[in-house]
Amino acid sequence: MPYDAMNDCDDDDLLAAYAAGDAAAARALTARLTPMVFGHAVRMLGGDAAEAEDITQEALLRLWRAAPDWRRGEAKVTTWLYRVTANLCIDRMRRRRGGPALDAIPEPVDKTPSVADEMQNAARVAALQTALEALPDRQRQAVILRHIEGLSNPEIAQIMDIGPRAVESLTARGKRALEALLSGRRAELGYDDDD
Amino acid sequence: MTERKDTEGLDAFFAAAREESPMPSGDLLARIEAQALAEMPRAGVRRGGPGLFGQLVQVLGGWQGMAGLAAACAAGVWIGVSPPEGLWSLYILQEAGLDGLGVDPLSAFDMALMEG
Repeated sequence: MPYDAMNDCDDDDLLAAYAAGDAAAARALTARLTPMVFGHAVRMLGGDAAEAEDITQEALLRLWRAAPDWRRGEAKVTTWLYRVTANLCIDRMRRRRGGPALDAIPEPVDKTPSVADEMQNAARVAALQTALEALPDRQRQAVILRHIEGLSNPEIAQIMDIGPRAVESLTARGKRALEALLSGRRAELGYDDDD
Repeated sequence: MTERKDTEGLDAFFAAAREESPMPSGDLLARIEAQALAEMPRAGVRRGGPGLFGQLVQVLGGWQGMAGLAAACAAGVWIGVSPPEGLWSLYILQEAGLDGLGVDPLSAFDMALMEG
């Protein structure tokens, strides 16, 4: 089946086709899932793209190996992948504790307005990444899934294997901690210009 | 600063993060695709765990365990069919009194009667 014809297939269908030896399904799944896993890994790892690549490869390798025994309808492929990716990232971060300090992030540089805007955005992302890295693992995971990946609380609860109320509590505490960490940097990152 | 402003400020950071979504390199995509194809089960080839008999063999200790069990079973049958001479000195049917009772191994009724 060509890749174009697979746009209508859901992840479960594609995984079943992959398990049956369909190379087009392998390509479609790679194209569909890699950006999601990589993006989540980068955010969970505080912006480390090289390590995020390793984690992405490992998480998807686990999916390929789980495919023949995959039980359709039991868990969404994306939910399963978010969980595996986050767990791999948390393991990795526990092994290399001691990332860059909040002060070590690049300062925004004043250039032409459009470049300045771009720099401001990049600096905000960098500041957020560094602040996220300072959060406890579970708070970081919940905040990223809720506010950056845009998932619903029930789905996050499934990924993290906790109740929806615990998700709310984790995201609320995470946001409070982020506010405290970023409050001193808002003016220099151009927050005041946005009003 | 008010609480509301703080939250709005945080939303600006989240919005920036969503806008600058990290994208995988073409090299990473190629590596993952190659890995997916290498790991893909071949069409028509049955993969997965052992069947029922295979699982039974594993539970009983692999082929060595199965061989031991088969040998013990064969020895038991052989002793039953053709008991060695020396066995009578150790186990005499008359003394045990079982032959007189005529126990039918297929029926539990006899033993139930014996026990009253």
